[in-house]
Amino acid sequence: MTDQIAFPDVVQLAVPLFIAAILAELAWIVLRKRGGRYETRDALTSLIMGAGNVASGILLGFIAYGFFMLLWQITPLDLGTSLPVILLCFVLDDLRYYWVHRFGHRIRWVWASHVNHHSSQHYNLTTALRQTWTGTFTFMMLVRAPLILAGFHPALVLFCGGLNLIYQFWIHTEAIGRLPRWVESVMNTPSHHRVHHGRNARYLDANYAGVFIVWDKLFGTFVPEQQSEKVDYGLVRNLGTFNPLRVAFHEWVGIFRDVTQPGITWRDRWMYMVAPPGWSHDGSRADTARIKADHLARHPEDRGTPGFS
Amino acid sequence: MPLPVLLALVVLGIGGIAVALHLLGLSAPRRLDEAGARAAWLREFPGDTVTAATVCADGSAALIAAHSGPGVVWTMGADTTARPLQGARTAAHETGLTLHLPDFTAPRLQLRLTPQEADLWTRTLKDTA
Repeated sequence: MTDQIAFPDVVQLAVPLFIAAILAELAWIVLRKRGGRYETRDALTSLIMGAGNVASGILLGFIAYGFFMLLWQITPLDLGTSLPVILLCFVLDDLRYYWVHRFGHRIRWVWASHVNHHSSQHYNLTTALRQTWTGTFTFMMLVRAPLILAGFHPALVLFCGGLNLIYQFWIHTEAIGRLPRWVESVMNTPSHHRVHHGRNARYLDANYAGVFIVWDKLFGTFVPEQQSEKVDYGLVRNLGTFNPLRVAFHEWVGIFRDVTQPGITWRDRWMYMVAPPGWSHDGSRADTARIKADHLARHPEDRGTPGFS
Repeated sequence: MPLPVLLALVVLGIGGIAVALHLLGLSAPRRLDEAGARAAWLREFPGDTVTAATVCADGSAALIAAHSGPGVVWTMGADTTARPLQGARTAAHETGLTLHLPDFTAPRLQLRLTPQEADLWTRTLKDTA
């Protein structure tokens, strides 16, 4: 079994590309006066969140990598690193990403980590870098276990994950409208991912794809961007702070406060951790299903249209 | 990539982009008018009904009267957010009030208010308590 395989850390190598692309998008928006919006404090918060994400990877990455290497010692399978294996790993890791991302929106414990990526009311290339500092604590590394047990080397799996993240960078833009039909039908695109960042009732919990939008079509979570309804970016309840520490940890604090409140059952405490965001023991909050139902009560004409079917 | 190089790239990249945005005038805060304040409240609480919106003289925030109770909307850079005022406290400062909200995601809000506006906010919060 091969233990020593080296792949480049593509996310770190892409940092100069990220900076150049942000400056190019900014220049495009300023010169053309269309294609998105930038605001200093919002962008600064996003960039600091991105830097914190890289730092947390450097500090805590050994936990996931140690877990993966443990699995690699256990598995009798080794698929090697030929080009077809790399391509297969990339596709399967994208399927892995779809489910981790879906869990990230449907399980509050995982949402507590992912929520900060959605906390900007802007949608530009800096938003792509507004990434979690607390991903290690979601235990979503477990979802990668089948890939490693199937014989994909941990370094290869992490390499494919890095490529997946880099792909997702460029789709965080309003500067690109719709791409050719065949691209939109197979790939995740700026249009599809704008929907994912929407706080409109129509667009909630849709388009979880990383690279291939086909996963959403396969698993019933695809909603196309509607010309008739502009995407409103941000959270259902938008943050009132640009403080990166509050952005990074606010949902964890919320979970702690909910779980430790007096007068609720142990089941309630568990549900505050694992139920979809918006769940509450007394029904005082609204989850996605209720937000959509409330919207339809106000706008019955939307029933049966994309996002409400 | 060597760590010192990565660190320099990140620091210079973040700093450079922030300076560029500021020099391009993209730090200017949004200013609310009454219609904007009403819309900002309904954007956060779409099922609610706004009965009155009193915008501060500097346009940075507004006191909302809604069927669900009193609330505040304020500008967040180029955008807005809103919170109900239940459980909020105020403290006077030289140019207005500091609003303390029982919310980790919006803990404190500095309101620049005229004495008349400060009085209205204070009375509203007393009635809410």
